[in-house]
Amino acid sequence: MSLYESSVKKPITTILIFLTVVVLGIFSWSKLSVDLFPEFDMNQAVVLCTYSGASAEDVENNVTKLLESTLSTISDLKKISSTSKDNVAIIQIELNWGTDLDNAVNDMRDRLEMIKQSLPDGCSNPMIIKISTDMMPVTIYSATAKESSSALYKILDDGLANPLARVSGVGSVSISGVPKREIIVNVDPKQMEAYNLTVEQIGSAIAQDNINTPSGSMDIGSETYSLRIEGELKESELLNNVVVANYGGKTIFLKDVARVSDTVQEKAQENYVNGAKGATVVIQKQSGANSVDVMNRINKALPDIMKDLPRDIKLQEVMNTTDNIKNSINSLMETIILACLFVIIVVLFFLGKWRATIIILMTIPVSLIASFIYLYASGNSLNIISLSAISIAIGMVVDDAIVVLENITTHIERGSKPREAAIYGTNEVAVAVIAATLTLLAVFFPFTMMSGLAGLMFKQLGWMICIVMIISLACALSLTPMLCSQLMRKDTKQSGFFNKLYRPIKKGFDKLDVQYERLLRWVLGHKLITTIIIIAAFIGSMMLSKSIGSEFIPMSDNGQITGNIQLPIGANVDRSREIALRFENDVRKEFPNEVKTITTTIGQPSDDDDNSWAMLQTSGNNYISIRVKLTDYRERKKDMFEITERLRQIAASYTEVAKYNIIAGGQNGGFGGGSTVDAEIYGFDFKVTEDLAQKIKGIMGNIKGFTNIVVSREDYQPQYQIEFDREKLALNGLTLGTASSFVRNRMNGLTCSLFREDGDEYKIKVRYDRSSRHSVEDIENILIYNSAGKAVRVSEVANVVERFAPPSIQRQDRERIVKVSANLYGVSLDVATKELQAQLDKLEKPSNINIDIAGTIVDQQDTFSDMIMLSLLIIMLVYIVMAAQFESLLYPFIIMFSIPFALIGVFLSLFLTGITINMMSAIGMVMLIGIVVKNGIVLVDYINLNRERGIGIKAAVIMGGKSRLRPVLMTTLTTILGMLPMAFKIGEGSALWQPMGVVIVGGLTISTMITLLFMPVIYTAFASISVRKYHKEGKGKLTRRNTNLE
Amino acid sequence: MKAALITYNQAHIEEVERVLNQLAIRGYTRWTDVQGRGSINGEPHLGSHAWPSKNMATFCVIEDAIAPLLKKMLRGVDNSAPQQGLRVFFWQIADV
Repeated sequence: MSLYESSVKKPITTILIFLTVVVLGIFSWSKLSVDLFPEFDMNQAVVLCTYSGASAEDVENNVTKLLESTLSTISDLKKISSTSKDNVAIIQIELNWGTDLDNAVNDMRDRLEMIKQSLPDGCSNPMIIKISTDMMPVTIYSATAKESSSALYKILDDGLANPLARVSGVGSVSISGVPKREIIVNVDPKQMEAYNLTVEQIGSAIAQDNINTPSGSMDIGSETYSLRIEGELKESELLNNVVVANYGGKTIFLKDVARVSDTVQEKAQENYVNGAKGATVVIQKQSGANSVDVMNRINKALPDIMKDLPRDIKLQEVMNTTDNIKNSINSLMETIILACLFVIIVVLFFLGKWRATIIILMTIPVSLIASFIYLYASGNSLNIISLSAISIAIGMVVDDAIVVLENITTHIERGSKPREAAIYGTNEVAVAVIAATLTLLAVFFPFTMMSGLAGLMFKQLGWMICIVMIISLACALSLTPMLCSQLMRKDTKQSGFFNKLYRPIKKGFDKLDVQYERLLRWVLGHKLITTIIIIAAFIGSMMLSKSIGSEFIPMSDNGQITGNIQLPIGANVDRSREIALRFENDVRKEFPNEVKTITTTIGQPSDDDDNSWAMLQTSGNNYISIRVKLTDYRERKKDMFEITERLRQIAASYTEVAKYNIIAGGQNGGFGGGSTVDAEIYGFDFKVTEDLAQKIKGIMGNIKGFTNIVVSREDYQPQYQIEFDREKLALNGLTLGTASSFVRNRMNGLTCSLFREDGDEYKIKVRYDRSSRHSVEDIENILIYNSAGKAVRVSEVANVVERFAPPSIQRQDRERIVKVSANLYGVSLDVATKELQAQLDKLEKPSNINIDIAGTIVDQQDTFSDMIMLSLLIIMLVYIVMAAQFESLLYPFIIMFSIPFALIGVFLSLFLTGITINMMSAIGMVMLIGIVVKNGIVLVDYINLNRERGIGIKAAVIMGGKSRLRPVLMTTLTTILGMLPMAFKIGEGSALWQPMGVVIVGGLTISTMITLLFMPVIYTAFASISVRKYHKEGKGKLTRRNTNLE
Repeated sequence: MKAALITYNQAHIEEVERVLNQLAIRGYTRWTDVQGRGSINGEPHLGSHAWPSKNMATFCVIEDAIAPLLKKMLRGVDNSAPQQGLRVFFWQIADV
């Protein structure tokens, strides 16, 4: 018994099976987590290797080159770039998208193990760090306080960070921007010298005086007592009375040589939120946790936590990655609901029957909800890819059911009982329906095999649509016939009201049939003119395509802008602060309604900060980090890109600013961050490449559309270097190590012990008083003691010189490189790149220097070539499926004529909407291949059927066209209207999928016209040729089977 | 005794069975998936691409008296849906 026969005969079983699927689907849906993109591994890893005391060039020659040549042999390597700085080599490995990072890292570790011995002495073990999206903070809060500001760190740490860290899924909560408490022992070098004391001695004296020692236990009588010495200082004041030495029979207390101050860190990062100083609370998630889930839990826990904090502490959200996710998902959900509504209207409109409409619509929820089971079972999330897949599929899932229902209706009208009509009606079209689904699978299955960045995005889309299509096929072959057998009646009476409403529509359809027939007859009578018109339109659209720009991934407005402003090297924090506050002010003045919060961070995090997020960020006294959060996109008139461009202008207008880099969208793993164009200058000579870089920067500045131009090579940094004379050191019984630690302990400080209070620990630091650390003489006067207790001044064994540290050396693909990168604004990627290339070709450059253009354009080219391969594969598969269905090589060829002409619609719609050719519109074009040929299959199949029934070519074409007009229009309209909300809905993140919708709507509209009007022309042309040929050969009666050309 | 061969569109199976039951015709032989074409206007039932519908055939041997009744009732079935197609053929049976 076939599937449809058993389902018609066992309606209860059928309905219960589908009910089970729906219930399981809803269950899965409730369990699904929400994310922006399907989960994927990042493709980057960093290898760090420190080589103390080596200059950038030494590091490059001895460490970087060796590591690079070893690491460049790992498989799936895309790019290897490195930075060699003083003391450290950083090698960045970029792998091909979709490579298993864990395997790659193991591979790297093995290779590094082999060359470890070849690394110079004193070089640390290379450390491998995987770059993952988990490093990105989920959310950043800023806390401001009035009365509580002096103890802000402790309050936030105890009252906010600790409770938040207990929230499940939260990885770490770190606080920056508020100085921590520190106990500083400011020693006076003169006093110390007088008593023959060193910082190290004072440090160890404090350490010895500030310890608790458990000293065993003793039995007294029948009881056991434990013995303890509680030596830890109860108050920081007591430090003053620590005995540091005996000098000339006199006891020297700490207060005699130093001033103890219980204070906060001298230098800390400062954060300003909307002009007010505050602390930044950065929340990172545990690796693998879902951001939206974590954020929901945080939001739930936060009100309770806030209740326990002092009233004057205000929390403000500076950044939140999940808002964008939620908004994007919600606006896609709306799109899906709208699409559903459109499809319902179309079906009702064409069928004109309530019962039939309900039967068809049942397939939508069943097939869509069932796809959630797949998502849940495969551990995926609800993301914009899986939801776009659903949105695309809505219009297509009803097609099979419509075909089945139509045939069953015909049977019922001819007098069959619904039961028999359902079984035999389905039987007749089952093969055609399966073939139609197979053509769609031929399109979407190859998506699951895509590689590269596009593969990460579209694998899931491919699987989703394949699964939805298979389920909708199963529905059409079981649920639909079953429901037909139960619900359909011959001549069911519609209510009078409905008939009144529907009669004009019916009349309209009848008129359309007549008009179409007339047009078709005209077209068939004027084949040459028709062909010329169509080809002219095709050529016209090709010309049009030249004026359509291209980009890689459409940028979407997520309301975040990040960036930095750099003052000239050497500027101190005070100057940075002034510029930061001025910038904040100007921005808020200019965009009072657009900017929600603006946060600036200045200064460096202190060495002992445990803030891993802050450590990853670039920082410096002259470096201002900026983070702008915009208001909801519905509430503002200007988009993110416009505002970003204006922020760049503001930054450029300050004469004090040396460099700035402001990026729309934030850097979230390369998506939506906007296109960049890099000019990569490969060459060994610093001077030559630097000059060239500046020249190229000038060129870029003159090309329209280039903005935010940054040269990657850093400036020379001023610094004091202490050059010890090794010979003199040796004469004094000193080593470089001891001497340098002496200098470090005095200037930077020696952390000698910890002060405990209320369960918290604070560092006790000994160092020179501030007044003795502000000139070169202060350094020169530092006394260094050798093991015999003999002291020498730094000036006796070393020279203190002011120098400029050479910049770090950047390399890529094992050659020195300088990058000049720019963002684009108001110009498309291909135009900008072409223009730059033309200018660069004119540039005079030494022969040993190479200039390449890189950046987003490379990703774009890779992806587009992937897409072309994919389209070729799909065209071949679709051709095979059709050839098998028609058992002919000619008919699939005729049907495929509509594919190139669909481009007319694609380019026209892109041109009219001003959308570029990008990854999403390219994917839309690939999908079109399958959707477009579906109409052709329906039409050609019916024309063939007519011819097999013995009707002449022209009559068969006209009859076929007329009778298939409504089904073709109906399936096309469901698809087009299903996509329409995608193409025109404006919502957060909509920029991402809009191109896909526009391409499909435009392409399908035109290609349907081609199918209905031009394909009959081609069909008659080819068929007539074969008939004439046949007659010439004088063979017997002609049937469709032997009209094939092959 | 007469032999009756009823050939009909497979969608008519229930009606044909009902008629046989009503006339208490117990014995019959049925072929499913048979093909055929009507002599005058009948649409072909070939199970092919062009003519996808199929026929069934029921053969039964009945008393002479029942034959007209069977004919009449089957004509009623045929008239209810003339496009589907149903024919019954009778001939004499010499022996069983």
